[in-house]
Amino acid sequence: MHTSPLFLNHNYVPEHVQPQDNRLYELKAEVDAKNLTEMWDLILRADYQVGDAQDLPRETREEFYRIVSLLVKAFSR
Amino acid sequence: MLTTNRPVFTELGTQAIEKGLADPQLSAFYESMMSGFGLVSEKIREHMPYLSLCSDKLDGFGPPPIFYVGRRCSQRLLFGEDWAMQQGDELRTPDPELEYASAEGYRAALDGRPYYGYARTALHFKGTTVDIAYERLILTLRPSPNSTRRFCAYFGVIQDLLELPRQ
Repeated sequence: MHTSPLFLNHNYVPEHVQPQDNRLYELKAEVDAKNLTEMWDLILRADYQVGDAQDLPRETREEFYRIVSLLVKAFSR
Repeated sequence: MLTTNRPVFTELGTQAIEKGLADPQLSAFYESMMSGFGLVSEKIREHMPYLSLCSDKLDGFGPPPIFYVGRRCSQRLLFGEDWAMQQGDELRTPDPELEYASAEGYRAALDGRPYYGYARTALHFKGTTVDIAYERLILTLRPSPNSTRRFCAYFGVIQDLLELPRQ
């Protein structure tokens, strides 16, 4: 790889490396803390047909996050 | 949105489903869940687009807050994408009177008695008044056999949606 002399090699992030999805980890931690993990798994399995939220396509993650946010609120009373 | 007439909710009882009087898709969901004794199984997958799911937190006079609205669920068809996709506080039916009138069905389901009934009401919606009649089934389910967690599944079928003349 050829880089500009103004661009330091150690700052380069290869294109295929995706940034960590902090929202996913924050929501999962909140769900686990409120004992809603089974509901998280249910929605993933029954609607999105995946076993792990990291397997969700990026375009459907936002929709899943919105459902999980409502889930937390709905059981928070 | 405001209701012009007081909503009418009539419980028909799940015997009506067993006698074949209910909507076929609603009946299929009922039979599928009853065969699993209220436990969620892989069978729920095919019904998810038609369901809305809410918690078991009955508080005050209204039904529990909704957290999931299926892509082809009657509530999404009636209240629209913007309502279904909103991000705010709790997700609730956008009509307080209808909301309170519907609570009894959730109360019955959470007491262990699946609720099946008929409802009819007139709604002001998006500048028009509609007369709506629908069947609704409410079940309480558990996500796994040993779970202490419960939630309600709502399956609604709009039978008639008639735009009324402007007054």
